[in-house]
Amino acid sequence: LSDEASRPFAGLSDVSISEDIPVEGDISVPMGSSRRDDEFSTLDEPVKETILRDLRAVGNKFIHVLYPKRSSALLRDWDLWGPLLLCVTLALLLQGGSADSDDQGGPQFAEVFVIIWFGSIIITLNSKLLGGTISFFQSLCVLGYCIMPLTVAMAVCRIVLVGGSGPVSFGVRLVVVTASFGWSTFASTAFLADSQPANRKALVVYPVFLFYFVIGWMVLTFSPAQ
Amino acid sequence: MFYSTPFFSCKPRFLMWMQFLRRHRRSYFTATPGLFQPYNTATLPPYMAMADDTEDVELDFAADEQERARRSAVIRHPLASFFHLFFRVFAIVSYLLCDWISENFAPCFVLIITLLSFDFWSVKNVTGRLLVGLRWWNQIDDDGKSLWVFEAKKSSKGNNNGTDAEARIFWLGLIICPIIWIFFFFTSLFSLKIKWLSLVVASISLQAANLYGYLRCKAVGEDGQPPDTGSFTGQHLLQRPDIIFGIL
Repeated sequence: LSDEASRPFAGLSDVSISEDIPVEGDISVPMGSSRRDDEFSTLDEPVKETILRDLRAVGNKFIHVLYPKRSSALLRDWDLWGPLLLCVTLALLLQGGSADSDDQGGPQFAEVFVIIWFGSIIITLNSKLLGGTISFFQSLCVLGYCIMPLTVAMAVCRIVLVGGSGPVSFGVRLVVVTASFGWSTFASTAFLADSQPANRKALVVYPVFLFYFVIGWMVLTFSPAQ
Repeated sequence: MFYSTPFFSCKPRFLMWMQFLRRHRRSYFTATPGLFQPYNTATLPPYMAMADDTEDVELDFAADEQERARRSAVIRHPLASFFHLFFRVFAIVSYLLCDWISENFAPCFVLIITLLSFDFWSVKNVTGRLLVGLRWWNQIDDDGKSLWVFEAKKSSKGNNNGTDAEARIFWLGLIICPIIWIFFFFTSLFSLKIKWLSLVVASISLQAANLYGYLRCKAVGEDGQPPDTGSFTGQHLLQRPDIIFGIL
């Protein structure tokens, strides 16, 4: 067995090719993506550089949500720090007041978490089952980062509610929440819908629409403790 | 300390030889002949037979005292070892003492999730490669395909590998903490505290992800599959790209 393995072409020693048969072909060396060389140098990099690199990547993605345009480089380096941060912020902002008293309508802390993460997972599964080319964690990343407009809207609503909770304040909040809901949905579909075949785009966009609608609803109907 | 005492003067030769072997198992085969004394000098050629019991011979494998100290240290990365365990243990302790931290559920939840996120990041990115020379990550190709790559450093490369003590710290910390969280899962399930259940599920998923990743890396290290031919820098790394569970 080892003999065979050490001389793989031994059986071909008596094969000869006549000279008028052209022997030609292509040789292609599969080059790994250029990132592999980067990875080699990151094996021994100091920890501070690792931290800074990841922080810069997270900040970059936040900027991309503000100006959504399809960029494949952004999608390739997914990370879930942004969604975690936004989720925690949104859940904390949805906390105050009536949430603690258990009888009014404020969502509990864990509910917000479960809705956001479970909802993202369901949407991702849906888009993968429909034949999407985007990967699981990429989709979670995009959906999570696009919660940012709604988080900003929540902060604005809290500020507006400090001034009072009459119809004027409700009108302002409605406008703000609707605008941010539209922005979130638009930003996420800019990334997600491109990975689907043309006749399935609506099937993928609809759950995303629902997802941000539910979150927007939670933001709009938040009422502080009396 | 070992290098500063005369090699043959105080202890029986056999004991010193065993000590030397135990400490330098790997570098034994790379040491140049003549620099150490095998047990039976009678079989050696004359030029290799070194001094007898009364002569002092100094072994000088590393010119630098610091280098020697680093190589013979029990723990080469004390900060990494500390942080490897710190976040996980602190998260477990916070879970147990959550009633003392705050009456509300929210601050405790945020604290534990934050600690476990930092723990996930530091174990995946820092302590794995420093303590045991393993690494895993997700890579997305130009055509959008997602691959998980598991890497293991070959043990012969470089001096900065983790020692045995560090490897023990790493694996014990990695394995015991998810087991504790699984125990918490059952206690919160049977006491019907559903809010805490969501927290425990999140914790288990974070910890189990690292455990699974490093077990795959370790399997790569034992199989020894070389990296793709396109990479010329990977001679000291063993790799295996993969898709997990068929969808991730």
